[in-house]
Amino acid sequence: MVSSFCWGCLTRLPSAPRALLPPTLTAQRVAAFHTSTALLAAKKGASAPKYRQGTSMTMKKKKRPAERTRPPAVGERKALRKRIVLSNPNALEIPDMKEVSNETMVDSRLRGSVLGLPVPMLDQLRAVQAFQPKQGWSIFRRPGTVVRRETLEIARLIDGISGEGEEKGKVVKKIVSGARATGKTVHLLQAMSMAFTKEWVVITVPDSQELVTATTAYAPLSDENPNVYVQPEATAALLSRTVTANPVLSKLKVSREHTGLKAPVPAGTTLEDLAKMGIKDPAVSWNAFQALWAELGAKSAAPGFEKGFQPRPPMLVTVDGIAHWMKESKYNNVDVQPIHAHDLLFVRHFLSLLKPGTGQSSLPNGGMLLYATSASNSPTIPTLDVALKQVAARQAGVRPSAPEFPHPDLYAKTDQRVLDAFDSYGLPAPKEGTLELQTLAGLTREEARGYLEYFAHSGLLRENLTDEWIGEKWSLAGGGVIGELERIGRRLRVNTA
Amino acid sequence: MVFILGVNFPERNLVKKSLETFFGVGKIHSTRLLARFHVHPTCKIGELANKQVLDIQAALSEMKIENDLRRQVLDNIKRLKETGTYRGRRHALGLPVRGQRTRTQTKTAVKLNRMERRL
Repeated sequence: MVSSFCWGCLTRLPSAPRALLPPTLTAQRVAAFHTSTALLAAKKGASAPKYRQGTSMTMKKKKRPAERTRPPAVGERKALRKRIVLSNPNALEIPDMKEVSNETMVDSRLRGSVLGLPVPMLDQLRAVQAFQPKQGWSIFRRPGTVVRRETLEIARLIDGISGEGEEKGKVVKKIVSGARATGKTVHLLQAMSMAFTKEWVVITVPDSQELVTATTAYAPLSDENPNVYVQPEATAALLSRTVTANPVLSKLKVSREHTGLKAPVPAGTTLEDLAKMGIKDPAVSWNAFQALWAELGAKSAAPGFEKGFQPRPPMLVTVDGIAHWMKESKYNNVDVQPIHAHDLLFVRHFLSLLKPGTGQSSLPNGGMLLYATSASNSPTIPTLDVALKQVAARQAGVRPSAPEFPHPDLYAKTDQRVLDAFDSYGLPAPKEGTLELQTLAGLTREEARGYLEYFAHSGLLRENLTDEWIGEKWSLAGGGVIGELERIGRRLRVNTA
Repeated sequence: MVFILGVNFPERNLVKKSLETFFGVGKIHSTRLLARFHVHPTCKIGELANKQVLDIQAALSEMKIENDLRRQVLDNIKRLKETGTYRGRRHALGLPVRGQRTRTQTKTAVKLNRMERRL
């Protein structure tokens, strides 16, 4: 008979439970009254360093608990990064603040004051991405821009082009340059706000960098032209910006036939619908954009399309940060060689407007090209610097054969394509202006006063604005550099009370 | 999900990284493939056009990758052994092949070098 008793288990039993044994006198218990030495002695014995063990303290890394939270949804982080806040309800409202309108934009008495952007226009300006996230729109009650000398100049030009005078239908071409934070991007924004006021068509490229960083799809134009590339998604995005921002497109009808689109475009189609074809199907977006461009430049209708033809409004074309377009892009061609940015058709189209060629006009119905450089996000391109100097020299009337005409460094690598992009040749159309370089610098003291008063009225700046104080801040801001003035204006709010 | 050479890739994956999962396709080959079919480097699998998927698949099937390449490497080692070269011997002994010291640290060689080398 097998006993229910397991010998194996018996042998593994502990000898005796600890609690049953009589308490032994350990060192600690004896040393109840004088604690330190006994405790130290016990400790020392327990953790004496072993053979060849370092005595330095080792820290154990704490293991992080596995994160349970889900990452934010696709696009959420970018949306947060690109978020633009245009209003701050805590800022004071300025009662007598004027808005951009047909009258105020050319009023030279308003120089130095801040003009608000009309609220209905904000959606349009948002659509063309005129506002940048790092600009300080969120500290004021409503967005506004200061009227400076250059603003008035551009306002007069825009007024003249859309008016009935001899300036009508003129094309003004400017490259806006200047040091960091001198207000180049806001200058473009001001031009856009005026163009929207005059009901122009506004086409913008707010971020030129994203076209060349190889983050959007590209494809060769056709089998016949394998060395030029279209960017369907980027073009569709451009069309979408243009359609959202320009309600005037829904009033204009097509004036000719367009091939290259999937379906024939019947007469009576609005330009908005034409553009939407490209938005819907990015594969034909480049053709749709070309069709739209041809339509916007049309002066008369082709036979069969005369019904409902309306004269086209002038156009404003702005590009911000052109330096990114003056080098090789991050795209590769079939031979794994970098593609030059000028081989991207999107880029080429906008650069070709700078020099339309003999007898041609870049904007047949008039308008303005404003291409801005960037000083905070810009690759170093020595050839571009020379090219801009050449533009300035030509503007000043220096002949290219003259000795003082700037030339690139003979011992440096020069990108001839960049030089050629700004070098207009031949006689342009009569209404076509020459390419100009506009260098923005600081505000004048009077303009700086108006700008800082705007801060004071908004409740951000509690300071007695004397001439002396303003002169000091004007100097601190590098001679009225507007971005630096803004920093001063917001920083001083804690300083005083 | 898109099938490329019998492997199913989720649409959110990068094309470049997905190509590099094949044995024998590294950074250089994936860059070349992308350039050849005009795919930008940040393209996701889901953004590929149908034709591009077929093109990439055709190009991959012409390349010597995966098991073909593994077999080739093994054949090379076998050939070295059969011709009695020093390198072949070292492979067979599980010792470093390229003149490294053997006094210490030959773990990798011991682990990997053998006639049927692990790849």
